[in-house]
Amino acid sequence: MTDVSLIIGGPQGGGIESAGQVVIRALVAKGFNVIGTREYHSNIMGAHSYFHLRFTDKPARALRLPVELVVALDAESALTHVWDVSGKGFFVYDADSKDQDAGRIASMELSLKKRLKETLGPKGGATVGNAVRLVEERGATPIGLPLKALLKKVSDETASPLAAIAKTINVMGLAAGLYLLGIEYNYIAKGIELQFGGRPKVLKPNLVAAKVAVDYVEANYGKQRALPDGPHKGRRRMLASGNDIVAMGKVVGGLTFQTFYPITPSSDEAFYVEENMYVDVNGSKASIVVLQAEDELAAVNMILGAAAAGARASTSTSGPGFSLMNEAISMAVMAEIPIVISLWMRAGPSTGIATRQGQQDLLHAIFAGHGDTPKIVVASGDHREAFYDAIKTLNWAEEFQTPVIHLLDKYLAATITVLDEWELDVSKLEIKRGKREEAPGNDYKRYEITEDGISPMAPLGKVPMLVSSLEHDEYGMVTEDPVDREEMVMKRLRKWRTIANSIPEEEKLVLHGDPDARVTLISFGSTKQAILSAMEDLAASGIDVNFLQFRILSPFPAETASKILERSEKIIGVEANFQDQLSFLLRAHTGIYVPYRVRKVNARPLYDSEVVHAVEKIVKEGAREVVVSSGA
Amino acid sequence: MVRKWIDYKTEAWVQWCPGCGDFGILNAIYRALAELDIDPSKLVIVGGIGCSSRSVYYIKANAIHTIHGRAIPVASGVKLANPELTVVVTGGDGDLLGIGGGHFVALGRRNIDMTVVVYDNGVYGLTKGQAGPTLPVWLKTKALPHPNIQGSVNPLLLAFAAGYTFIARGYAFHLNQLKDLIKAAIQHRGAAVVDVLQPCPTYNDIMTNEWYEKRIYYLSEDSSWDPVVRSPQELKEKAPKILEKMMEFEDRIPLGIFYQNTYMETLEERLEKLMPGYLSSPPGRRPVTKPLAHPFELFKDKVVQV
Repeated sequence: MTDVSLIIGGPQGGGIESAGQVVIRALVAKGFNVIGTREYHSNIMGAHSYFHLRFTDKPARALRLPVELVVALDAESALTHVWDVSGKGFFVYDADSKDQDAGRIASMELSLKKRLKETLGPKGGATVGNAVRLVEERGATPIGLPLKALLKKVSDETASPLAAIAKTINVMGLAAGLYLLGIEYNYIAKGIELQFGGRPKVLKPNLVAAKVAVDYVEANYGKQRALPDGPHKGRRRMLASGNDIVAMGKVVGGLTFQTFYPITPSSDEAFYVEENMYVDVNGSKASIVVLQAEDELAAVNMILGAAAAGARASTSTSGPGFSLMNEAISMAVMAEIPIVISLWMRAGPSTGIATRQGQQDLLHAIFAGHGDTPKIVVASGDHREAFYDAIKTLNWAEEFQTPVIHLLDKYLAATITVLDEWELDVSKLEIKRGKREEAPGNDYKRYEITEDGISPMAPLGKVPMLVSSLEHDEYGMVTEDPVDREEMVMKRLRKWRTIANSIPEEEKLVLHGDPDARVTLISFGSTKQAILSAMEDLAASGIDVNFLQFRILSPFPAETASKILERSEKIIGVEANFQDQLSFLLRAHTGIYVPYRVRKVNARPLYDSEVVHAVEKIVKEGAREVVVSSGA
Repeated sequence: MVRKWIDYKTEAWVQWCPGCGDFGILNAIYRALAELDIDPSKLVIVGGIGCSSRSVYYIKANAIHTIHGRAIPVASGVKLANPELTVVVTGGDGDLLGIGGGHFVALGRRNIDMTVVVYDNGVYGLTKGQAGPTLPVWLKTKALPHPNIQGSVNPLLLAFAAGYTFIARGYAFHLNQLKDLIKAAIQHRGAAVVDVLQPCPTYNDIMTNEWYEKRIYYLSEDSSWDPVVRSPQELKEKAPKILEKMMEFEDRIPLGIFYQNTYMETLEERLEKLMPGYLSSPPGRRPVTKPLAHPFELFKDKVVQV
């Protein structure tokens, strides 16, 4: 069975993104499932970034540390990932960088330099050479690639000046690394072709570079044994990031209007919607207006206007932008306008670490907006869920004429996964637009009092009508009358109950694993697959846990959660925030206190390996709180 | 059917102070709409928050009362979702040029075909007379404990710099002239702004009706005045004079159309160029009945066949 993880690192702007894309394509060609994510600084050029991947015969659920292969394209990468390679792994580095010292690397974080000095000081200093000695002592195999000499070879073989082919260094590194793992050259070449196929001038030197690197490894370290092919060879598959998949869900789900203001890690979602704003469907064109707003205030207020005029509308943002949207969310509740906000969480507070992972905006989403403003909050656990949720959120917004927050995060945004055709089946999905009224009468009441709290909604442009952010009567006319006021508040309350009762419980939460397990992990969002993957390992080591995944955080599934959790002896909360935001909600709604916690707050993804470790510590050693800290 | 001004009046009680300039502006809007015979079903009035933004309740139309400062983005969303609608924004100088100033600028850049009527009295009336963004520096109205120490923004210059293609200024109590300006603004294809000077009899005791009447005059009194610009070349030639007139705001205050650009394309036209068919099936009217297609069909750039 194959289950291999790898990291390929280098300077930002040095081709790490495309290296990751090539690796994924090569591995998919070889028939494996793959998951891969990019970790990067808030920087355009020079800072360290890396791609972290895992490929396996089984479903590729989550990332794992340590890895079986580190490919370090520069000294900073070699030093940064010195702790990440396993005892049986390969450590591929630039042989010419051996003398480079962490102290002289301008882009490296100061405290990383200090940690390296502590670790490598006893060996004579924080140099790449000493890092290589350390990984070797731990059992890994260092592979020093003489990159300069190899580049010269590529230059000779392609008859191109060095400067023109210098960029192939990333492909050299990945080719050497993949070959060491047992991926044959023809699959590496396939990955390169799939990535650069449209650009012959780029394709050729990269193929040569890969060959040169593979030949070098073979000549110096012997012919490597090939891995058996994975089970999915020859299949049509999709490679999509979380940003992509949400965009796809929106387009497929009938989105007609999207706004955004640039912010990491949400922008790529809007960008992919924009790429598909004018798609061909059975010979005719479906158009979506995608507009970059001047700020998040405009982004959300524009969709309020568009939705009132009949558009199926959404915007996407991250924490700081969502803060700016709060007042408009309140208006969406008051004026009963259907909007969807994709909220891609990142590490806060404030600007925090803009390009890194966090799950700190759950309570922000729940409580956004002043003045009694409940709203639907949905958290997707993985790409597949995110795709369907993108469609469902559009449906729910229109069915219930309410704001819906689709909670996602940086890890999902940047993580690429492989999907099969059946996983994205839309044939049974319905588009729901609720009580949309296309032919309102002359006495149309936008806020007609109804039993379920939902009034027929006519788009603007049919008959004179009032849409109001002020308290209003059935017609939308402003009123401060106490009877009107109470009537409208009670209408909104009935609507909220309708929402809570209409969304099936199985959409709101999912119990994974053995229902009779004594230990229950609770979590929400992108920790799902790391936890599921960890559960397999925990079961193998005799710890039987199940996992209660909260999919809809508002309206909160209090009763069902209580029933499930009553059976559990030990509840462990797993969250990437320090206020235990999900546990807080659970206690508020059910009185159930979550005494054990696994906390991830270093702004890196949650790895399955650390979930295993943390649960063992709690179950076997009685720890109450484990802070897990993996990730470079 | 030819509509009369009364056809645009709702039954709601107009709750402004006696003598408020808002009455004049509202009456001018009624009359402009009637003369253009705009169907109230196809008319959208969008207001922010403040005394003047309440106009949304007084005009028979599709009306949205939004939140403070955000009338322009909400109106932009409406117009882009359904370009066949006539969209008019009503708001005060505080709403549109203070808290909503960023959106005021962005609308100019976009040149969406809609009209912004600025009820410009220099004060925040509904919160009892604080200084608005158009109140000149060192003025001390009776509502202010100290003279205003913040400078004022010139709405016309701001609109010109932002890219509005129709810029006019009127006076609240000159009903006929103001009606004509609003009419021209609505008829203009592109982003239009009408800055309407108006007294706030309750809080601005300096810029009163007498104060304004002493100063205002019409650009059209000069028979050679021609604000229409039909080409980039013509803009270059006329800009200095236009800017000079826009900057005149002391002893003499000009009113009328300062600038009208007839060649700049609107955002809707740009969208139609980008996506032919947008105008006939815009976001608010495009039928959405079932999922568009399987993602493997739609997003072929993400599909790998190996």
